[in-house]
Amino acid sequence: MRGGAGFDELIHPATRLSIVALLAAADWADFAFIRDELTLSDSALSKQLSTLEEAGYVVIDRPLSDRRRRVRARLTPLGRKRFTAHVAALRGIIESSDATLV
Amino acid sequence: MTNPLSDAEARVALHEVERGRERVIDQIGMPAWYWWGLAGCWIALGVLNDVANAWVIAVATVAFGAVHSAVSQRLLAGRQRSGGVRVRADVVGRRAPLVVFGFLVALAGVTVAAAFAVYADGAEHPATIASVFVAALILLGGPRVMAAIRQRARRAEPR
Repeated sequence: MRGGAGFDELIHPATRLSIVALLAAADWADFAFIRDELTLSDSALSKQLSTLEEAGYVVIDRPLSDRRRRVRARLTPLGRKRFTAHVAALRGIIESSDATLV
Repeated sequence: MTNPLSDAEARVALHEVERGRERVIDQIGMPAWYWWGLAGCWIALGVLNDVANAWVIAVATVAFGAVHSAVSQRLLAGRQRSGGVRVRADVVGRRAPLVVFGFLVALAGVTVAAAFAVYADGAEHPATIASVFVAALILLGGPRVMAAIRQRARRAEPR
């Protein structure tokens, strides 16, 4: 950990932060939806989701619907908890900076 | 303890967090086919009220209610406009299903009131005329109701 309580090194890199922020507002999101919204390549998104899945932050489901195999991602309770803490840490940094200025 | 990021970096990261939430909020809504289907069924029920006997009207109304209930439950009050994402209930807002339900109840009330008004004016097919009027309200008003729910979700504090 680089510093402030709740700051999460795994979530913070820009691409992973975008993925987790999107999943935090959803029950689940399709692989294709995340890829298109964040304009990522299939391989880049797969890599980031694998990292998040290995950390236990994300679960990948593969429901069968319309005779097509879909890939859906959703945040785990742990992932949601770490994301909430990370956002609180970011807010804390801004607040402490504002307090220093005042 | 030193901060892991500068103030500017933290702001950029928070902006990205908010952008992620907005991307999902943009997906709140009902599919277009829902509003067109609802408007079509509304007109069909209006026509039946003018031309069919009471049994046919009763069966059609119950069938409409059952099909609509099944479809609207699946659509989860705007949480799944596309098949790509399902918006969290707390992001859409607890009141959203009530707002959609209230809109539909209001439409039913407007239909009855309009039909009586048209009937009082001496027109031959009051229920048909009223249902066409309300179908137009559905097509114009439905997407606006969902836009208002999106707007409210944007203003809400993230949990």
